[in-house]
Amino acid sequence: MNFDFSPEEQKFADEVEQWLVENHDPEVMDHHRENFSQLADTPERRAFMKKLAAQNWLGMSWPKEYGGQAIEGVYEFILNEALSKHAAPQIGKGVGIIGKTLIRHGSEKLKQEFLPKILNADVEFAVGYSEPEAGSDAANMQLKAEKVEGGYKLNGQKMWTTSAHFADWYWVGARTDPDKPKHDGLSLFLIPMDHPGLEVQSLPTIGKDTTNQVFFNDVFVPDDYLVGKRGRGFHMISEALDLERFTMFTLSPIADRTRVLVDWVKDAKRDDAPLKDDPNVRRTIAQIVTDTAVAKGLSTRFVCAAMAAGGKPPTIQSSQYKLFTTTLSQRVCKDALDISGHEGTIMEGQDEAPLRGRFEGAYRATMNETVGGGSSEIQKNIIARRHLGLPKNF
Amino acid sequence: MDLDFSEEQQMIVDMTRGMLEEHSTVEVVREMEDDPKGYPDGLWKQMSELGLNGLLIPEALGGGGQTLLEAALVYEELGRAMAPVPHFVSCVMSAGLLMEAGSEAQQEEWLPQIANGDAILTPAWLEPHRSFGEAGIALDAKPDGDDYVLSGVKRSVAYASSASRLIVLARSAEGVELLLVDPNADGVKLSFYMSQGREPHYRIEFKGVRVPASDRIGAAGSGWKTFDKVMHDGIVLLAAQATGGAERCLAETVEYANERVQFDKPLGAFQSLAHYMADASTRIDGGRVLVHEAAWNRAAGRSISRFAPMAKLFCCETYRETTRVCAQIWGGVAFTIEYDQQMFFRRAKHLQLSWWDTPYLEELVAADVLDS
Ligand SMILES: Cc1cc2nc3c(=O)[nH]c(=O)nc-3n(C[C@H](O)[C@H](O)[C@H](O)COP(=O)(O)OP(=O)(O)OC[C@H]3O[C@@H](n4cnc5c(N)ncnc54)[C@H](O)[C@@H]3O)c2cc1C
Repeated sequence: MNFDFSPEEQKFADEVEQWLVENHDPEVMDHHRENFSQLADTPERRAFMKKLAAQNWLGMSWPKEYGGQAIEGVYEFILNEALSKHAAPQIGKGVGIIGKTLIRHGSEKLKQEFLPKILNADVEFAVGYSEPEAGSDAANMQLKAEKVEGGYKLNGQKMWTTSAHFADWYWVGARTDPDKPKHDGLSLFLIPMDHPGLEVQSLPTIGKDTTNQVFFNDVFVPDDYLVGKRGRGFHMISEALDLERFTMFTLSPIADRTRVLVDWVKDAKRDDAPLKDDPNVRRTIAQIVTDTAVAKGLSTRFVCAAMAAGGKPPTIQSSQYKLFTTTLSQRVCKDALDISGHEGTIMEGQDEAPLRGRFEGAYRATMNETVGGGSSEIQKNIIARRHLGLPKNF
Repeated sequence: MDLDFSEEQQMIVDMTRGMLEEHSTVEVVREMEDDPKGYPDGLWKQMSELGLNGLLIPEALGGGGQTLLEAALVYEELGRAMAPVPHFVSCVMSAGLLMEAGSEAQQEEWLPQIANGDAILTPAWLEPHRSFGEAGIALDAKPDGDDYVLSGVKRSVAYASSASRLIVLARSAEGVELLLVDPNADGVKLSFYMSQGREPHYRIEFKGVRVPASDRIGAAGSGWKTFDKVMHDGIVLLAAQATGGAERCLAETVEYANERVQFDKPLGAFQSLAHYMADASTRIDGGRVLVHEAAWNRAAGRSISRFAPMAKLFCCETYRETTRVCAQIWGGVAFTIEYDQQMFFRRAKHLQLSWWDTPYLEELVAADVLDS
């Protein structure tokens, strides 16, 4: 048993930390953006991603023949934790989902076109799985992809496509084979985001940023841009989720909120008395700090499971981690507002608010954490069936 | 990072579990529930022979010289088996106090006997209407020549009727003292009472009991510091015990939920119940990592002033909550003596309230986080 990083891992973590301190840029790194800080959605943030690429930090876990370094995923975990701790954009969709799927299933053409761009941070993607009728039940996608001469014609609608308003390419699941069983009728496509017939409509949220609906009107996709085999779309999507555990939900932002709250409570006063002497505040802090330590334990657990050579994808460990941590994340924000008392109502960004409203904003921004990326209920279904062996009936 | 057990650790786990499955069956546990002695000789002897009683005691004094991490693995098994043994009071707390502050003579007299199971020692700590903290110690220790004279009352002293020595926490002008006292000495009176977890507990009256100063553990007035330090190790093990109990309680419930049919479905096919179990398993697995991290840090010589109370706080609450939802899943039968669920249910709450309860642990964590 060992709870420390290996010396090499620790050296890398220190190196990344130092680099992030030296490259600090408030235009790029902003804690008030909460979960949206992971997106490279401005020219400054895209330039930052280029710097990460220049460090050779993109695609570290890829095979060498595709420009990677074939090192363990834990390095990408360390990198993303550090990036998210600094509220910097993270390595994510490109290196993870899209890159890894192309490496395993993509044609030579697609590999040559996209892999170097991903490694050089020359491309940003949007991921389009969700639709009005396909949320938790992702396999229920209805976007129609009709076979036509030389390609496919897409018609229908996607919901919740984060990044669609600034991305270059769209990674889209669509139904090519409506007569086949639900899970076997889907295929994956790559489409330029500015393609005629694609209409992106902003969908503002109570968080910091916007997500989008995307409408497809006779969008033609050449055969070359079908990813992998027709009908294997859903299986590739599931596999990518399993391959991409290391960088999915970082703990650092939550651990960091706990730290920010503790530091604030240590110095804050109410009626001239130290807030930290209030017994209710002390109890709340003890509970949050303890649960944050448990979340870190669950993170360690899934990282160790993911690293186990030849092991199964750490689906159960990942579900437990996601369930516990996102619930905690919301609770930290709620408790922080409770501790702030009525001043907690002052909206973010104003000096009168405690911590300039960091938690007022975070309370809103974290609302979706227990839904997006597989809701808490879906995680519990997975744990109940796959971990406890309960009947499959829901 | 890796969370795997070493080969030797895995051996300790397998050996302990195998022995407990044979010697700490539900029948044995039930039999001990009303017994004022409270532990079976056979089980106790097995534990000594396998080296579990001396696990934490140095090899030179007849023990196994293992770390808190190995002990935590054993405690998860003890919790799983609900093992009715005075291991915690004797082999962890009393041995720990002696190892931390005892004189060479005291260590040589008692530690080998604790390790081989011949002697049971138990701390006499809590007092009626008094708290868990240092301020809770009021039992009077008046110096008189080379002796202390003890008067006052202790309560909830586990396994006292079997003890060769009590380690009494008493108050002198210097502070808190730890005193080795023979429970058969003049002026000591034991009376038995039942506890929720059915550990045999005793109320002990001290009326002018004379104790030579040479039976004090450590320097005058240093008793609370010693006790507090050993408690930090102890509560990590109780957290492990809670984890083992919770895991077994959940495993039995999952099995039942797969078998019992209502509305033509096994209970586990009802999502509301399945989600209770998924939540419980997540807390149990998360708590276990926290226990291991605490024990591992201690073994690596790092401070556990925060990890230890966090582990007991979280794991005991998890055990309690697990037994609550499991009882719900079993339905009416959980309420009957005949079914085993009530045994977990009572033990979980008992353990949470014992050896520092939720508010006390929360304050330890808060002080470490906020006041440093
Ligand atoms: C801000 C934001 C960004 C997003 N970004 C993207 C993106 O970039 N790309 C993308 O493809 N998607 C994205 N999503 C979509 C996200 O993945 C979905 O919201 C999520 O999968 C849940 O689907 P839904 O919202 O349709 O809820 P539903 O699936 O309708 O769920 C509603 C409720 O029903 C529960 N429920 C559903 N099924 C079950 C069941 N079997 N058992 C018990 N309870 C159940 C859910 O847990 C939830 O509580 C985003 C969403 C948001 C809000």
